[in-house]
Amino acid sequence: MAPRFRVVIAEDAAIMRDGLTQTLTRRGQDVVAAVADPDALLQAVTAFHPDVAIIDVRMPPTYTDEGLRAALSVRRDHPGTGVLVFSQYIESRLAAELIAGASGGVGYLLKDRVAFVSDFIDAIARVAEGGTVLDPDVVRQLVSAGRRADALAALTPREREVLSLLAQGRSNVAIASAFTISPRVVEKHVASIFAKLGLSPSDNDNRRVLATIKYLES
Amino acid sequence: MNDEVHWPETQVTGWLRGHPGQADVLLVAALLAFSGAQVAQGTTRPAMRIAFVAVTVLLAATVIPRRRYPVAAFGAAAAIGAAQVAFGMQDDAFALALQPTIADLAIPVLLYTLAAHRPRPVSIAGLIICLLGAVAAIARWSPTHGAYAGGAVLVASAGLGGLTLTAWVLGDSVAYRYRRAHYAVVEARAAQMEAERDAQARIAAAAERARELQEKRTRAVDQSATRLRRIERDLHDGAQVRLATLAMVLGEAMENLEHADGDTGDGNHTRTLIGAAHRNAVETLAELRDLARGIHPAALDRGLAAALCSLADTVPIPVEVSVRTRERPSAAIEAIAYFCAAELLANITKHSGASRAAINVSDDQRGMLMTVTDNGGGGAVLTPGGGLAGLRERVQTVDGHLGIDSPPGGPTAVTIELPGHA
Repeated sequence: MAPRFRVVIAEDAAIMRDGLTQTLTRRGQDVVAAVADPDALLQAVTAFHPDVAIIDVRMPPTYTDEGLRAALSVRRDHPGTGVLVFSQYIESRLAAELIAGASGGVGYLLKDRVAFVSDFIDAIARVAEGGTVLDPDVVRQLVSAGRRADALAALTPREREVLSLLAQGRSNVAIASAFTISPRVVEKHVASIFAKLGLSPSDNDNRRVLATIKYLES
Repeated sequence: MNDEVHWPETQVTGWLRGHPGQADVLLVAALLAFSGAQVAQGTTRPAMRIAFVAVTVLLAATVIPRRRYPVAAFGAAAAIGAAQVAFGMQDDAFALALQPTIADLAIPVLLYTLAAHRPRPVSIAGLIICLLGAVAAIARWSPTHGAYAGGAVLVASAGLGGLTLTAWVLGDSVAYRYRRAHYAVVEARAAQMEAERDAQARIAAAAERARELQEKRTRAVDQSATRLRRIERDLHDGAQVRLATLAMVLGEAMENLEHADGDTGDGNHTRTLIGAAHRNAVETLAELRDLARGIHPAALDRGLAAALCSLADTVPIPVEVSVRTRERPSAAIEAIAYFCAAELLANITKHSGASRAAINVSDDQRGMLMTVTDNGGGGAVLTPGGGLAGLRERVQTVDGHLGIDSPPGGPTAVTIELPGHA
């Protein structure tokens, strides 16, 4: 079972808010607040300093991208709180805005992923611990989208596959088991990716995020 | 102006009609020719003969300017006539120069001209002058020639009066016919102007109607865009949320069953059922999302540029997106532009073999211009019922325009012009 994290939920649809609260509570997470709009979210984050805030993109008053704006201000004002934005639609540009300049935990998932409870809770844990989680759909779009061909041209097909899992926030061990190769080989791949993308070997965790950003911004 | 007497048309009358100046010269010549015998018989005194010839020629010549100056020509001829009446009836040598002549026929000719081309009061004045002249001439003439009464005076009166009246009546009837023709022309022109006014009124009414319809269409298109957005939002806040929550609960139940100890046959069966329900919920969620996106792309809520950039990321070739607009078009127009871009990118991916594409959006006072280009094989054509034809129809619903430039071998450029508002 994943470690217990302090969680704030911001979701305007009551049925989803309550369902998520109950499910996460049953799975041993500490839901300290469940709110319905961006202002209440910012108050709850200020009051409770949660490990992670799960935020719906569309919230009142205009139901466009209030959730994203709120997530960006949480990330700016409360670096200790990871932000996991979820949405009915995947938008690569929105992911790029969310991830740009990220240093702490950040995630962007399709709302459908709540149907896979354990995976969802894993994602919450990764974001709470400062990792990056991107929806597989986003990663698929970004890896296949030719506009990144220039930046990623130097990568081998296997390195590209590794990078896509990296971008989803998987650990080396998880990547190794996904491809049934040894963690040592994964480490080599990751080092090669970092080198080819021009990321200096200063902070290993940060470089994983930066590699993801490379995806989005190249 | 031609004389309007409608003689039966022959070569001669046709020529005369076409050459009025020459016709008048011929008339003068004829008058002079008929006067010739008189000149020959006249006085033997050469000076008087020359004076008589001069008066005759002068009289006949008044016919020449009759068309241009009918009143002046008539006045001149009448003055000579009056002088003849006053002095020409005496048997003294001086009077011989002013004796009446065949050339006096110029006077009825000029009266005819006056009646044909001048207002009736003028021609009636001329008629009275001529009749008075005739009376005076007979009065002066009869004592000299011993014809005091009876047949000779009656014949002379009937002859001169009849000639004068005939000339006036002929001229007046020509004038009447001319006036009638003139009125007909005026009436026709009036009718034509009225028809033009009617046509202009109809055009103005049609333009007004077109503007009303356009306003109605704008409202309808905007309302429909608003309605579609509301439907999408209802789906988003209602069915999609419920389904996602349902899928989450089913997922949790499934995981709980998997971790439950002591598998029984029943437990296995329940797990299978819940697994199927979970799969169904997840798949329905995906279908519902596609449906909602087709109704209104939520990405547009963050603006056309953001939506097109995200769209560009969904295709497997590099797509350069440039949006330079000063004004945000209406939601309905943005939606049309977005759906067009989505369809065109899908076409490019499927058919063109292109390795890169570009979307350019700009705007000016007339509206928005979107150009989608690719470096593929070209040869894209608009076929009835095809995807491009569908796009064109969609664009035309708001008076937009879709143009395709796709020579064989490429490259392809599709240009879409849209108004800022429907």
